Amino acid sequence: MDLHFSREDMIFRDQARIWLRDNLIRERRPHSGEAMRSFDLAWQRKQFEGGWAGVSWPTEYGGLGLSLTRQLIWHEEYARADAPDNHLCFVALNHAGPTLIASGSEDQKRLHLPKILKGEVIWCQGFSEPNSGSDLASLRTQARVEGDHLVVNGSKIWTSHGHLSDWQELLVRTDPAAPKHKGISWVICDMKSPGITLRPIEIMTSPNQVHFVQCFYDEVRIPLGNIVGQINDGWNVAMSTLGFERGTAQIRDQIRYAYLVEKMIREAHRRFGSDSPLSNDEIGARLAQLRADMAAARAMTYMVMSRAQAGIQDSQSSLMRAMVGETQQRARRLALDILGPYALENPEDDDWVYFYLRSFSITIAAGTAQIQRNIIGERVLGLPR
Amino acid sequence: MNLLLSDEQTQIVDSLKVFLRDRAPVSRFRPPAPQIGNTDHEYWPQLAELGFLGISIPEEQGGIGFTAAEEMLAYREFGRHLLSPGVLGMTLGARLAAGAGKDFLGGVLQGRVHVALANPRGPAKLGAECSGEFHLFDGKGATWVLACDETGAALLRREAFSAVSTVRGTDHVLGLERAVLAGVRPALWIERDRDDMYHRAQLLLAAYAVGIAEATRDMAVEYAKNRQQFGKPIGAFQAIKHLCADMAIRAEAALCQVIFAAVVQSEQRAGQEFHSIAAKLVSVDAALKNAAQNIQVHGAIGFTAEADAHLFLKRSHVIEQFWGDTRQQRRQMLAAPFPD
Repeated sequence: MDLHFSREDMIFRDQARIWLRDNLIRERRPHSGEAMRSFDLAWQRKQFEGGWAGVSWPTEYGGLGLSLTRQLIWHEEYARADAPDNHLCFVALNHAGPTLIASGSEDQKRLHLPKILKGEVIWCQGFSEPNSGSDLASLRTQARVEGDHLVVNGSKIWTSHGHLSDWQELLVRTDPAAPKHKGISWVICDMKSPGITLRPIEIMTSPNQVHFVQCFYDEVRIPLGNIVGQINDGWNVAMSTLGFERGTAQIRDQIRYAYLVEKMIREAHRRFGSDSPLSNDEIGARLAQLRADMAAARAMTYMVMSRAQAGIQDSQSSLMRAMVGETQQRARRLALDILGPYALENPEDDDWVYFYLRSFSITIAAGTAQIQRNIIGERVLGLPR
Repeated sequence: MNLLLSDEQTQIVDSLKVFLRDRAPVSRFRPPAPQIGNTDHEYWPQLAELGFLGISIPEEQGGIGFTAAEEMLAYREFGRHLLSPGVLGMTLGARLAAGAGKDFLGGVLQGRVHVALANPRGPAKLGAECSGEFHLFDGKGATWVLACDETGAALLRREAFSAVSTVRGTDHVLGLERAVLAGVRPALWIERDRDDMYHRAQLLLAAYAVGIAEATRDMAVEYAKNRQQFGKPIGAFQAIKHLCADMAIRAEAALCQVIFAAVVQSEQRAGQEFHSIAAKLVSVDAALKNAAQNIQVHGAIGFTAEADAHLFLKRSHVIEQFWGDTRQQRRQMLAAPFPD
């Protein structure tokens, strides 16, 4: 075990740090709408033009073709620089892109991957349905083959930023007669296809905040060439995508939260006086335990990276995800207790309350905390189903 | 960057695992074995022969010459087997003697001369002159006693303690005495600036607590797979399954932080204080909670002395108190500089 980085890695780190320092977009990131889309795409484009997009993606599709270690270093420096989180690019960069790299055809990779890295397109996810949440494999959105097309009917829900997206990674049932995990296909859906209608869904963070859409598909035609992997093998393709969501994509967020706790300690000092955390034993105790747990969460993230580098594939990362999610939620909650009555105000430029309310999604999205515990119990500990 | 054990580290741990499995199973404490005190000091010469008492002491001083990382891995196994924390007296006593070039070092490294541990039970002051009220752990038959705080580490002769009286310990399989130091010059005193024994001790205590957190997780999971109620193993019920998952999450978090802190120490990186105290806080929390939940998963048998579950809980409380309880260490945690 070691924390060494090679000389070349250190040079890469220095270069990343300098580029981020000189090229950071300083404006506040809008929380919604077209302004948010333009902001996120512009920042992605800037990273691409600077030669920093897709650190571990293959070079033939516009990536840098570098190691997971370099990807880690980039994420670390990105968080350290407090670079903006371009959430709208998250699905493309962390699910769709890696899935296409793993399972896509040559044509699919050549068409989509460069556009993702260049900041030309936004992707969204079409997995959950009104009656298929935790039990994702029970999904019922139908797709029948008609000539060289799939024809899709049904509905998807909890699609983040669907109204701002160009493409969707869509799970559909292509064989209704097969067992539930066997009849699913993973397809690339053009969000401008005729027959798609969207219902905006506001979320709990602030009034009129549209984050999700529900998608309705009425005889939507998708070329057969848009199926990723084999028809009816979409469950396996999807599991690799969720693996990415539960794995390495966490690192940047993780480091960012470690800095957030430091900011909270400064805020507590400001609010309660110079020796504040000590004089307010309750807040102080919670801050101290949080600081320790956040360090542990980060160490777990490095462990997941270490396992990935060694080629170990297992469900251990679900332990990290459970710990990280709940620690982050606790941080957001504690921030409110430090703020006191100020926490009753949630203006447009607030840095605390919006993110506190937002943090309720952490233990729901991409597998609830309870589903995570089933996975840990059954796949890590070997308990019976 | 790699937090996985190297092949060499795995081999070192495996040799210790085999020894402890064969010679020191936790069942050694079960009735009809005496419920008060233990004979773990009989393992010291054997552990010495295997190299574990001087594992991080340089070879030229008679040790094995490994780092904080290998020492941490040994303490994780000690915790799993509830080895007497007296072993920490041996490790740190040897380190102190080696640093000072003392002639009794050989006796400690061979496991013949025993070093017990003292922990404050009231106001206490360590330094060139030591005073205060203490608890001595497994101190009968020890020649030396080691005490440590944030300012440094002191090695005292056992006779230097006065008003010694035996009390029944909460963790009764450990020998416990009350004792007083009334302005005594220690035989050896090493300031933290010369050798940061305090944070090494916290790291090793944290590793010991990880061992407890992992052992109790494994006991609970094993029981949940075998115990049948309502016609199926109780581990099939989410109420039990999720308790076990929580135990696994805590144990893994503690292990990762302890490994990280050990590497920070062995590579002498910035943040030794921050990461060692974080390791102690996270792993003691994991040990205490896992030990308690293990009793719950076992149900009534977990409440008896016929199962080992209670021993892990009691030992967790001892480790929690050592050289700074949770409340004190949370203060240290907040005061530690953040290593960027």
